[in-house]
Amino acid sequence: MCKEDILRKLTIKCFHIKEVEFGNKSNINDGKLILNKDSFKELSNEEDVIDEIKIHIIKPRDHDRYVNSIMDFIPISTKVLGKIGQGITHTLTGVYVMLTGADTDGKQMAEFGSSEGILNDKVSFGKSGTPSKDDYIIHCDVTLKSGLEFNRNLSLTIHRLCDNFIQDIRNILKSKDGRNADEKHEYYDRLRHGKKKVLIVKQIAGQGMMYDNQLFPNEPSGFTGGRSIIDLGNAPVIISPNEYRDGAIRAMT
Amino acid sequence: MGIGPSTKETTLHHFRDPLLDVVSDDKDIDLVGIAVLGTPQDNKEKYFVGGRVAQWAEALRADGVIISVDGWGNSHVDYANTIKEIGERNIPVVGLSFIGTQANFVVDNRYMDTIVDFNKSEEGIETEIVGENNVNNIDSRKALAFLKLKMNRE
Repeated sequence: MCKEDILRKLTIKCFHIKEVEFGNKSNINDGKLILNKDSFKELSNEEDVIDEIKIHIIKPRDHDRYVNSIMDFIPISTKVLGKIGQGITHTLTGVYVMLTGADTDGKQMAEFGSSEGILNDKVSFGKSGTPSKDDYIIHCDVTLKSGLEFNRNLSLTIHRLCDNFIQDIRNILKSKDGRNADEKHEYYDRLRHGKKKVLIVKQIAGQGMMYDNQLFPNEPSGFTGGRSIIDLGNAPVIISPNEYRDGAIRAMT
Repeated sequence: MGIGPSTKETTLHHFRDPLLDVVSDDKDIDLVGIAVLGTPQDNKEKYFVGGRVAQWAEALRADGVIISVDGWGNSHVDYANTIKEIGERNIPVVGLSFIGTQANFVVDNRYMDTIVDFNKSEEGIETEIVGENNVNNIDSRKALAFLKLKMNRE
């Protein structure tokens, strides 16, 4: 037995969602997530580059439908105690956010190949980075006004608006009693004395529009409050295992 | 060239990263951390950030490094250089990359002898299917097994 030192603990409590629907007031109760059907309408008016933001609830296996190019799949997680990498995080399972984007002319928010098409054909379901076929998908479809020059700022705007939308759900998830969680996972950052020391290096995008990543947002897997790897000069940033698995990286590729 | 729909790692992928799980769960490994570095546009910058991450590995007294990349083509210029910088510091290094039939390395060097190709498509190409050509548990275990071999050879 080698000697181990525990550096810090992260507890992720999962609340499983079995049903998602629109209602008058956002809420999470008994495995049911209700989205306020009016709240996101204001999102569309927040930025003048946006023509419309539509939120669709995609039921499990209801994937025979056209979607614009997929910008991201995002878990819905929130800090309840402590900062990213330690303390307590609440997360939803059974439901993930899918962000898509295009302009009114159908020009896709993508640079190096795009994934618009029938959802069933455009996603390899059940991977680490994608929902399973049995999950609900909250589809945040952003339509930009016609004729805009696609640039980094536009991409950041879309991610910010989507994050604002998710924050409403996070605020409800934050207030859930952790004792009612469906699953609880404990993770430790540790020193394993005398064992081979290994560093993982992840080379991520940092070239510009659609090639960006946000580090250390305020909320797990969020956007707001984070720092872009581009703005950090693409120089290496060391992240602890627990920070990493607590959503320290928001992909914007 | 850069990151296509099938190779990009989504935010959900980072949240449930299989490489992190495999390495952190291995009781014979002391995982010192994850160094995240960007992929700049300019060649001078590519060499700068690659050198910095290799110096981090040395400063951490790492016995080994696993480096993964979710882009290809131009991103492989950075990737090859970073592996060389790490290798020249006598630190065993194993890579993970999408290669398939489409993304053969535009540059390579003698330290790139253990690269796990995480292509999953039959044709070996960027299929534009999200999640298809991503690192999974088996790729991660292969990479760690290669690294253990290399570290034990030192």
